[in-house]
Amino acid sequence: MLKNYLKIAWRNLLKNKTFSLINIIGLASGLACFILIALYVADELSYDRYHEKANRIYRINSDIVFGGNKLNLAVTSDPMGETLKKDYPQVEAYTRLYNSDGYRMVKKGSQYIREDNVAHADSTLFDVFTIPLIAGEARTALNEPKTVIVSESTAKKYYGTTDVVGKLLETDEHKSTIYKITGVFKDIPHNSHFKLDLVFTMQNLDYQMGNFLSHNFQTYIVLQPGVNYKNFEKNFTQVIDKYVLPQAKQFMNINSMDEFKKAGNRLEYNLIPLTDIHLHSDRRGEMGVNGNIQYVYIFSAVAVFVLLLACINFMNLSTARSSNRAKEVGIRKVLGTERKSLVNQFLTESTLTVFIATVFAIAIVWVTMSWFNDLSGKQLLFFSLFQPQYILFLAALPLVVGLLAGGYPAFFLSSFKPIAVLKGKINAGFKRSALRNVLVVFQFATSIILIVGTIIVYRQLNFIQTKKLGFNKEQVLIVNGTGGLWNKSEAFKEDVSKLAGVSGATFAGYLPVSNSSRNDNTYSTSPVMDSKNGFNMQTWIADYDYFKVMGMEMVKGRAFSKDFGTDTSALIINESLAKILGFKDPVGQKLYTYFQDQSGNKLVTYNIIGVVKDFHFESLRQGIGPLCFRLGKPDWVTAFKVNTSNINDLVKNVEAKWKTYAPSMPFSYQFLDDAFDNMYRVEQRTGKLGLTLAIIAIVIACLGLFGLATYMAEQRIKEIGVRKVLGASVTNLVSMLSKDFLRLVIISTVLAVPLSWWAMNKWLQDFAYRINIGWWVFAAAGVLALLIAVLTVSSQAIKAALTNPVKSLRTE
Amino acid sequence: MIELKHISKWVTIGGKPNFILKDVNATVNEGEFLSIMGPSGSGKSTLLNVIGMLDEFNEGEYRFFHEEVHKMKEKQRSNLYKQYIGFVFQAYHLIDELTVYENIETPLIYQDVKSSERKAMVADILDRFNIVGKKDLFPTQLSGGQQQLVGIARALIARPKLILADEPTGNLNSKQGEEIMNLFKQLNDEGVTIIQVTHSEKNAAYGKRIIHLLDGRIEREE
Repeated sequence: MLKNYLKIAWRNLLKNKTFSLINIIGLASGLACFILIALYVADELSYDRYHEKANRIYRINSDIVFGGNKLNLAVTSDPMGETLKKDYPQVEAYTRLYNSDGYRMVKKGSQYIREDNVAHADSTLFDVFTIPLIAGEARTALNEPKTVIVSESTAKKYYGTTDVVGKLLETDEHKSTIYKITGVFKDIPHNSHFKLDLVFTMQNLDYQMGNFLSHNFQTYIVLQPGVNYKNFEKNFTQVIDKYVLPQAKQFMNINSMDEFKKAGNRLEYNLIPLTDIHLHSDRRGEMGVNGNIQYVYIFSAVAVFVLLLACINFMNLSTARSSNRAKEVGIRKVLGTERKSLVNQFLTESTLTVFIATVFAIAIVWVTMSWFNDLSGKQLLFFSLFQPQYILFLAALPLVVGLLAGGYPAFFLSSFKPIAVLKGKINAGFKRSALRNVLVVFQFATSIILIVGTIIVYRQLNFIQTKKLGFNKEQVLIVNGTGGLWNKSEAFKEDVSKLAGVSGATFAGYLPVSNSSRNDNTYSTSPVMDSKNGFNMQTWIADYDYFKVMGMEMVKGRAFSKDFGTDTSALIINESLAKILGFKDPVGQKLYTYFQDQSGNKLVTYNIIGVVKDFHFESLRQGIGPLCFRLGKPDWVTAFKVNTSNINDLVKNVEAKWKTYAPSMPFSYQFLDDAFDNMYRVEQRTGKLGLTLAIIAIVIACLGLFGLATYMAEQRIKEIGVRKVLGASVTNLVSMLSKDFLRLVIISTVLAVPLSWWAMNKWLQDFAYRINIGWWVFAAAGVLALLIAVLTVSSQAIKAALTNPVKSLRTE
Repeated sequence: MIELKHISKWVTIGGKPNFILKDVNATVNEGEFLSIMGPSGSGKSTLLNVIGMLDEFNEGEYRFFHEEVHKMKEKQRSNLYKQYIGFVFQAYHLIDELTVYENIETPLIYQDVKSSERKAMVADILDRFNIVGKKDLFPTQLSGGQQQLVGIARALIARPKLILADEPTGNLNSKQGEEIMNLFKQLNDEGVTIIQVTHSEKNAAYGKRIIHLLDGRIEREE
């Protein structure tokens, strides 16, 4: 029976080549999108699940509001983990990671190589995470000072072998430290929220431990099986009362939580499940760049929709062509076929079509995989499709989609009454179908929403790129790692600034792009620090020429200058801070802060000497917060204002200078505008992916429309003939044939406008600085869709209109 | 009115011309009622289509009101027949999606007649054919005879000088057929030229002149 079904299905596919091709092309592209995005989503959802205790591991987050400054941290204070373990039996284990010191330079032969994926960790690392060691002893690996464990690939990179336990590893030329390698771990899988190549012991970290008020450690705890983490979070109030408050009293004159809260401040700790970190956490101090659940939702939805569009093509074309099949159905029924077996036959046809499409889709996935990886920033492998769970998925796909696409047509076609069919009464009445119209509207509305979405994402990106930022990101060359030059950094800066094409130079450890250094400090408007006068703000260290090189403008007062000896206690604030402080004339006012050293707390007084025009120092998603500059030498990064058309030569010259100063260190540079663009990688990707999906969606929708138009023209050939004989011109006929379809596209536009407006408005809310959605965006998307539809339909309409009516009007 | 000289039409099958019309010569004057007879495949309908300028011919000359049709471009031809010719078909060829009223109105729309004028003209003809009561019905709701009546009304609406009818009673019973033929006769008496193709001797007899076709040639004239 099945063989019979398949045979007939196959013949039908061959008989109607145009329609089969339209269906297969549409379904194949829809399925390819679906498979690619399924791989993407599966990858996003797989983060951190490889740990054996994954569903019991939680990270401690800190939420702090102090003096109007809001901090959502992925880190917490250093004693927190141990305190919890000590006081609460529900905590099975804890471990901390510390990566605030950023990268490390590691010596290989006579050269230094920059390693970015580094952290310090407690020896309890292995009690929490599943990080298999291929050499060394997990229990003791990080127990002793000056020990390090390295990843398999790092071991191979430096030593060419993984047999490195006991070997020594030297870091950082100037404050050189030698570590003993005590273990080699399997490379951390790519779907991990932290990437680690070198893990140093926490033992000899240069950090004053025991401070509950400083938040610098990623801290993970393992809860006992069965413990509800939400309930456990309630214990943090106790922890605050018992441990945090006493320190706050001592250092900041905060006497009770109530008093602290009354001044609008807040201190809270909470837990986030390990497996939620990648998609749900975007805090300061994350171990790396996380994903975003929103985009997972958006892309999944779009993939499903694109696939639906292709299914709709199948439904529409099948039902539209029903009259061609009606006779067959009638005859089969007269011959005694049951309806059930007719349904089966039609479902076999749809499944076979989808199956062929799936084969093509897999080929498309294979061809486009590397391109998709570029687009999505993933490293998906085509061959991962042949894992058992994906094979199951790929096998189920044609069945599910075949049922989805073929279900309605199957029941529709098999419902014909044989007498009506054989008398030829079925022919009329199939020309217009409300459901078909609804489905076409759905297709085009989806396409238009995608077009609008893409236009808006691109406009917002363009807006960001051209927005006045308060600094000039063009033509600024950034040389990283100049701190490694040690006391020669000043000389290097001077030397480079003498090169032709360089018009300014400054140490620039703090840059107005994300993933540059940041530094939060607490200040007070009076010498007594309390919860009423205290506030937190960004404190950046700047060199004399910083403002000139960055193109920042002083609105009041002056920048740091060598002509004033007192500038070590000078402070330059931004307009936002000036507004918050409410001083009539901020210049000359004083701000206070405490400085901690061995002898205790020391009061430091700063004089405000200038106000710098507000500039965006975080992504435009965020507003401009309070910020101040102190004078100093943040020489780990040096910035040069360049003024030349021949950038390549200049970079070569700078590199040559670098080699004379630091022959063993890698030269690493970037341009400020590139660093700036990096902040919007996710949006750029979204834009590109959205554009691709929009194009695919509209192509699929148009394929369907083309099929329908072809079929309609075929169906109405007689009517067209009559009208022609009655004197209709080609124009009359084309407009008649296209009108119905275009009306549908216009209805789609009307429906798509509010939906896309709502969705994109929501997306734009993520940005503190955003474009207004102009009406023209919708007009443009609508007109575009209309134009494409006109082109698609009119080709068929013109062909029909040009046919000689005599042919279609023969009565015989 | 119509002058056909040495009209031939053929299709090439296997390199050999297969004649559908061969050296047809005919003249039709205004006010005539001409019947074309002949067995199936004799070329009656083709000849009618050629006269109606719906079909092309391969050889010969065709003058319509002294204008040389064989030298015209498609557009001129279509303007010409729009203005002068109405068609009636055996299978009526009404548009199923349009009402009786709209079917009749269609040719006027294509001739850019103003809406108010159209209304008056359609009302006029509905009245004359006694089908006012049916104007809002769809073709499928009418009997064959009524449908053909609508077909003729539609052919007449633009006041053509010539009506071409291809077996207009072929799908009708004898009583309906008779009514239609009487209507043609009446129209002819009012001065409309009519050329009909028919199988039936009886219907042919309504015509003032009969041409017999056989294998694409004029066999004889009565």
